[in-house]
This record gives sequence, structure tokens and C-alpha cells, in this order.
Amino acid sequence: MLDIKFGEQGQIVVSGRFDASQAERAEAFLSAVQESREMDLGGLQYISSLGLGVLLATQKRLMSSGHALKLTNVRGHIREIFHFSGFEQVFEIEPNPPA
Amino acid sequence: MDSRAQRSFPRTASCLPEIFAFMDAFFEQAQVADSCRNTAELAVEELFTNLVKYSRGGKRDIRIDLARDTDRLIVSLTDFDVEPFDIRTVPDAKTDLSLEERKPGGLGIHLVKRLVDHIDYEYADRNSTTTFIKNLE
Repeated sequence: MLDIKFGEQGQIVVSGRFDASQAERAEAFLSAVQESREMDLGGLQYISSLGLGVLLATQKRLMSSGHALKLTNVRGHIREIFHFSGFEQVFEIEPNPPA
Repeated sequence: MDSRAQRSFPRTASCLPEIFAFMDAFFEQAQVADSCRNTAELAVEELFTNLVKYSRGGKRDIRIDLARDTDRLIVSLTDFDVEPFDIRTVPDAKTDLSLEERKPGGLGIHLVKRLVDHIDYEYADRNSTTTFIKNLE
């Protein structure tokens, strides 16, 4: 199950599994975001192409009004997926601190 | 060690949670490492939803076969009584475009081809089977 909510500092906090069955709910949440935000993906365990499409569509919409999502805590398998999807070119992704 | 499991699922994306539960139970029983599970589930989700959306003529349930041997996870999806569709012929997504040029969609098969270690395709008697192998770490 996917959990998506605003954190205490106004960041978007995403955790759990972002599969095709969760895309509609995530889309509804993100459609209310109208300005630049950090998106904390530290708790995200899984994302498929529909989830990636939701993030990409949100970034396109925000960029058209001069805003953007900045992705933080992108780790392991999720970072690999973002790399193969070319997300480094279209998102600012915060580097992970050295382990 | 050899383990196998097989189950068929209705051709709707709403049964993805059932598919993941089927796979998780197999992974537990076959002792598949956590590091391979997300990749295998992603590949199955992308292949399954692709068949649901685009498989021409498909009406029957889609069968998923899972197997592991000593060092490989082998997964097949079989779609019955359909036209052939070999994902190996699908061009790669253009992931180097600017945000303005990019459109959501088209990443699923692209990711499968990069994340698994081998893909096979077989078409016989109007039955279409895509098999992928993920080497176990």
C-alpha cells in the first residue's frame, strides 16, 4: 500500500509501494500541489512505470509555472529505476550522504 | 534447490495485489533474496499490464509460472489465443529527452529490458509466452 502525505516541513513524504493500483490515488494527491516542494522518497520500497509517469506528469505541470519537485532520500533499487528512466535529467535529485 | 509455482489471473490490472501476494508466497517458500524480489515484481507488473492493455484478441486468463533453480529466478507469462508480441522488438524509450519533450508512458518495457538478465519469447498455437530470467545474487 502507498502512503503519501505532507510532512511537518511541508515536504511530500512517500512510502510503501507505488504500483499501478495506487497511481490514481497518488495523482489525486499530487494534483493539489501547486508550488515547488521536496519529495522525500526514503520510505518508498517499489515503483513501477505508472508511478514514474505520475511523477513525470507532476513535474511537467509544475515546471510550466516555474516550480519543481526536488527528490530526496532516493536509495538502492529506486535510484536504479530512476537512473534507467533518465530521471536525473528531469528532476533535481539530492545526492545521498556517504554511508 | 528447485521450486515451481503456477497460477492464472483475470486480465485486469485490479488483480495486481493478488499477483504480488502469489509471488511473495513463492519467494518465501523458494528463499529468493529480497534484492531480487522488487525487480521480479516490477517486470511481472509491466508485462502483465502490457498484455491487459495491448494484447490483441486476448480474452482468457493470463498464466504466470515461477521457478527457481540454484542461481536463477525464471518467470513466464503466457497469454492464450492471441496475436504474437515480442517485447524484444520494442524500441527503447527515449530517456534523454528534455522534460518538455518527454511524455508519461513507454517506460515499462524499457525498464524490464534493463533490469532482468535475459528475455526469451515463444509463440506456438496462438499462445504467446514471454520468459525472463533474473540471476540470484
